[in-house]
Amino acid sequence: MTAPLLELRNIETYYGPIMAIRGVSLTVDDGEIVAVLGANGAGKTTLLKTATGALNSNKGKVLLDGEEIQCRDPDWVARKGIAHVPEGREVFPFLTVAENLAMGAYTRNDTDAVENDTATVYGYFPALLEFKDKMAAYLSGGQQQMLAIGRGFMARPRLLMLDEPSLGLSPALMQEIFGIITRLNEEQGLTILLVEQNANVALRVSDRGYVMEVGGMVMDGPSDHLLESEDIKEFYLGKKEEGVRGRRRWKKRKTWR
Amino acid sequence: MSDTTVTVDGCDTLPKLFLKKTAERGDRIAMREKDFGIWQSYSWSDYRDRAFEIAWGLLALGLQRGDVVSIQSEDCREWLWADVGILLAGGVVNGIYPTYQSRQVEHTLIDSSCRFLFAEDEEQLDKYLEMEQQLPNIERVFVFDWTGLRDFEHDKVEPLDKLFEIGQEFGRDNAGMIEKIAEEGSGDDLAALVYTSGTTGMPKGAMLSQRYIVFQMTIAPDYLRQQPDDELLTYLPLCHIAERVFSGWLPLAHGATINFAESPETVLKNLQEVSPTYMFAVPRVWEKFYSRVTTAMSEATWVGRWAYELAMRVGLRRADKLVAGQPLSTIDRFIYALADLVVFRNIKKVLGLDRTRNACSGAAPISPALLKWFLAMDIVIDEAWGQTELGIITSTRKGKFRFGTVGPAMRGAEVRIDDNGEIVARSDGQFSGYLNLPEKTAETIVDGWIHTGDVGELDEEGNLSITDRLKDIIITAGGKNITPSVMENELKFSPYISDAVIIGDKRKYLTCLVMIDQENVEHYAQTHAVPFTDYRSLCARAEIVELIDTEISRVNSGFSSVEQVKKFRLIDVLLTAEDEELTPTMKLKRSFVSEKYGDLIDSMYAGKS
Repeated sequence: MTAPLLELRNIETYYGPIMAIRGVSLTVDDGEIVAVLGANGAGKTTLLKTATGALNSNKGKVLLDGEEIQCRDPDWVARKGIAHVPEGREVFPFLTVAENLAMGAYTRNDTDAVENDTATVYGYFPALLEFKDKMAAYLSGGQQQMLAIGRGFMARPRLLMLDEPSLGLSPALMQEIFGIITRLNEEQGLTILLVEQNANVALRVSDRGYVMEVGGMVMDGPSDHLLESEDIKEFYLGKKEEGVRGRRRWKKRKTWR
Repeated sequence: MSDTTVTVDGCDTLPKLFLKKTAERGDRIAMREKDFGIWQSYSWSDYRDRAFEIAWGLLALGLQRGDVVSIQSEDCREWLWADVGILLAGGVVNGIYPTYQSRQVEHTLIDSSCRFLFAEDEEQLDKYLEMEQQLPNIERVFVFDWTGLRDFEHDKVEPLDKLFEIGQEFGRDNAGMIEKIAEEGSGDDLAALVYTSGTTGMPKGAMLSQRYIVFQMTIAPDYLRQQPDDELLTYLPLCHIAERVFSGWLPLAHGATINFAESPETVLKNLQEVSPTYMFAVPRVWEKFYSRVTTAMSEATWVGRWAYELAMRVGLRRADKLVAGQPLSTIDRFIYALADLVVFRNIKKVLGLDRTRNACSGAAPISPALLKWFLAMDIVIDEAWGQTELGIITSTRKGKFRFGTVGPAMRGAEVRIDDNGEIVARSDGQFSGYLNLPEKTAETIVDGWIHTGDVGELDEEGNLSITDRLKDIIITAGGKNITPSVMENELKFSPYISDAVIIGDKRKYLTCLVMIDQENVEHYAQTHAVPFTDYRSLCARAEIVELIDTEISRVNSGFSSVEQVKKFRLIDVLLTAEDEELTPTMKLKRSFVSEKYGDLIDSMYAGKS
């Protein structure tokens, strides 16, 4: 059996004295889309930041292709092939769209290929081509999200990590973006680790999913299984049985089975 | 049935005693419960007023003497108010476990011909509503907590406050009625139904008389040393006879103050806040204390660990001397005082046991090693024994340490061993039979003696020791008799094992199903870099299986070859109180588990034979 592309083992990360992640393990295989679900404050973003080296873990290992990469500088990790699309886009507002994309390819020196990839990005996101020379700050939220994903892709990473791409997007735009994420995975063979609050859309596009609660993993499995789980339905998809009175307020106990 | 009259303070029924005691105690605090996170107190007068209003309310709605009223709720002040209120009105109380699912609730409500139901909140109410059609006998339902039901309308369902209103109005015109009903009552009156979880078939309703209750009140303070100034923490279900005795009846008779834990999950936290002076717990909770301390110690600095180990050595030596009845020298006392000051006092403070004067364990067998560990910290745990049908009838006595026995029979009770080894007992307050089940009653009560279904021995001092449940005794294919509970208790003493069920009846060798202690095993996995995601994956890790294997081998070494567990499997589903695999006190049900996990068990006997 080959080693997974990314593996987290018993990661513990602190913010000062506060333990934000208490022992989390996860694997992402080559070519997969893996979703991590969880409510606000569950530790999803912390998990991504720990994987990319933006935060140092106090315990545990991060393995990329079997090689330990934990507690290294983020730029070193980025060169190793992990691209991180942060929560809230974080495009460079005063650079143009084209410059933003070029920033994504900063670590590369294969000029021809970069040009090719830029064309690919414009192919996936025609809107970006249209505003190619506009400052990124003038783009809409959805376009900025596209740009952030495009910028991540420009590094030609082995693993693209997306932190809440659905944040602040209209349902239609969200469908579009997740459609493109799926295509990137299928057509470009890009492995994707996706952190989302929107469980419904995340589980539909992903192969496998993990559920995080208060800093720990409580459940994992193939996404179609998770979609059928009673707890996921009630607590993440908002599909609860109405109960005998037609309006049930009390919550069932989570069992994560 | 016994003809002796049992009394406490000259009262032979709970209502008579309640009227007397609440008048005496007045504004003293009877109970505390948290409201929005702040402890609120309720006096004995409050207790009396609320119980009176409930009683009047039920009488206004036509309750007749002997009618059954059910309470389906977690522990809370209203539980006890309703409990006493029903009895004051001449009714019979049936407590229903809040963890029961609808169909289990349905059986007890129909079997008992229940007329009125108290439900804790909308969650419990929904269970009733789901089976409303099958329950025409329920006339009214009163809900303690109306939150989330503001717009809900139903001609049978109302908030508890409504019953208070009905009661207040009825009480104005019928002063003296409750006192009169109490006066007419006698010890023979049926007071409560307690449904015992039938491991096979439907639960059976044990009928408890007023005499049963009053007899249980007489066991303190001589045997179970609960005193008027004691503080208790109430956290086990009040439907269970043990918590009803310790938190319901004994405080009523003797005046201790009870504090309701917020929820089963917060018990350890609430313990620290309350720091009870009298502590009753089931072995599972005592085991939890132990495993918390051992886990904390494994993480402590080397100084902390060294001090703990040293203090434990001192404590255990003292415990040995106490058990052997040897006197303690001045030096012993001095060294122990030092160990207590530096180590034990702090541990006890963290556990919330620093004010504990008396402690008691019951409802399941406890490991002698655990009792000794607590004795080392100067926490003397009495072991009491009984069952729903008998009440609590034996207890160890302070100053006498006979680990492994549950002490001699109490005053008013007798215990003997039958020819087949079964414990047979009688008491002045034993139950009156199973509701609607004359045959079962006749099987259990023979010539006035109750056949307990437990196997045990009596020593020359009359101390009873429990071997096991008669039907749980394993006879292996080789013809060897094995009592599984001895080894199970040793296994449970491990911080990594929450519960274990040994299997092997008519089999070649013994095997075991293990429920791991989630908290401690997760902690172990984390400190030993064993990756896992959820509970199932944790149970599947080879390192964890190996950890449990080590624990089992360690316990095995104390047993002869035929008594050793040869194979085991972990139950990889995280069980909760709602699951039928567990009793309300979170013990694995042997028969249920061995049926449900039949395939898993068979896999341990498959292959080479």
